[in-house]
Amino acid sequence: MMAPSRLCDDQTFNELVAALESGAKDEIERTDRLLAEYPEDGRLHFLRGSMLVGIGRPIEALPALRKAVELAPDLVIARFQLGFFLLTSGEAAEALSVWGSLALLPAEHYLRLFVGGLTHLIRDEFADTVRLLKEGIAANSENPPLNRDMALIISQVEMLASGAKVDAGSDEISATSLILGQYSPRRTTH
Amino acid sequence: MTKLLKRGLDLIVRPERAEALLWARLRFEQRQDAREPLFNRYRGFARSIALRLRPWGQQANQKDAEQWAYSGLLEAIDSFDPLRGSPFPAYAKPRISGSVRDGFARSGELEAQWASRRKQESDRLRSLKRREPAEGEDPVEALGAIAACLAIGLILDGTRLMGGDDAPDPAPTAYDSLAWRQTHALLAREVERLSTSEATVIRQHYANGLSFAQVADLMGLSRGRISQLHSAALAKLRKRLSKEY
Repeated sequence: MMAPSRLCDDQTFNELVAALESGAKDEIERTDRLLAEYPEDGRLHFLRGSMLVGIGRPIEALPALRKAVELAPDLVIARFQLGFFLLTSGEAAEALSVWGSLALLPAEHYLRLFVGGLTHLIRDEFADTVRLLKEGIAANSENPPLNRDMALIISQVEMLASGAKVDAGSDEISATSLILGQYSPRRTTH
Repeated sequence: MTKLLKRGLDLIVRPERAEALLWARLRFEQRQDAREPLFNRYRGFARSIALRLRPWGQQANQKDAEQWAYSGLLEAIDSFDPLRGSPFPAYAKPRISGSVRDGFARSGELEAQWASRRKQESDRLRSLKRREPAEGEDPVEALGAIAACLAIGLILDGTRLMGGDDAPDPAPTAYDSLAWRQTHALLAREVERLSTSEATVIRQHYANGLSFAQVADLMGLSRGRISQLHSAALAKLRKRLSKEY
C-alpha cells in the first residue's frame, strides 16, 4: 500500500487557487481544511500567509510565511514575499538574510532584480534602486501585481530624490503584493 | 501620515506592520527581545496616564506614578492577546491606570514621595559594591571608584543623554557650563559604545526611570544580572571618562 502523500496534489491545489481567485468567501477555512490534511505543504502555508496579509492580519501572517519558507525553501515567491513583509515591517537586516538564496537565481530573473533594487533602497542608493526595479518590471511577465507594487516604489523614490514630500509607508504598497492571483504553482520554484 | 522622509526604507515601512511583527515575535516565536521595543513604543502612553492620575499639585509623586505605570504596562504586554482583535492601548489603559491607582493607594504620601528614589539609589549602590576589589587595590581607591560611578549615575540621571522623546527640556542651570555639556556629550557617546545589554540597562534605568526589577523583567534576565550589567557599564564609563579628563 502506498504511503499517503505529504503534499496536496496539484489538481486540488489549483482548484483552491481558482476558488480563491474567484472571490470565495470562506478562503481561510478552505485553506485551513487542506492544511489539516497536508500540514507539510509549504504552498498552502504561503497561500494562508498571503490571505492573512491581504485581510489585515499580519501577526498571524508572519508565522505562516515563515513556515512556508521553512517547508519549501525553493518556493522563491514565498521567500521573496517573506523578505518583503519583513522589509515593510522595518526589519531590513532580516529581510536581506531571508532573501540571501535568491542571489542564486539567474541574473535576469525578476525576483533577483527586485531584491537588488530593494537592497539599494535600504542603502538610500536611489538611482540604482530605480534602475534595477525597472529592469525587474521589464523581466516580469508572470506576476503583474508585483510589478504594480514596484512601480509605486519607483514613483515614490523619484519623488523622494527630487526633494518632494512623500507619504510614509503608503497603504497601497505591498497591500496588493500578496494577493493570491499572483500565485501560480507552475512557476514558483527554482 | 505625511512627513518629510530622510531614508529610502521609510518609503515602504508600515508602522502597524512593524508593531505586528513585534507581537508575532513575542507570541509565536517566544522572542523576549521583542518586549523592549514594545515597551519603548508605549512608554510615553503609560507616562501620560501616570501624569493624568497623579494627584494635582504633587510634583514629587511623578516618578512613583511613572514606575507604577510602567509596571502596569509590562503586565499588559505580557498578558495581551493580539489575536483577540482589540487594539493594545484599549487593553493596556485600564491596567496601567489600575496599577497607578493601586500604587497611590498602597503608599502614604510621604512614603510615595521618596520610595522610588530610595529604591533606585539603593539598587545602584548595591550593584556597585558587588564588584570585588582588584588584587592590590587600595580600599580607599576602591571607595573612590564607587563614588565616581555614583557620580556618573547622577550625571546620567539628570540629562537627556539617551534621548527620550518626551523627556523634559532642562532649563539652563548654574552647572550648564561648557564643561558640563561636554561631559554629557561624551557620556552619551560612550553609552552608545557599551554592549547592547549594558546600554539597555543604562538607557532604561537612567533615561526612562525603570527600577532594576523592571529592567530585569523587560529584558528577561535576573535582577542580579541587571545589577552586574549596571556595575560593569558604569565601570567602563568611568574608565573612558577618566581617559578624557
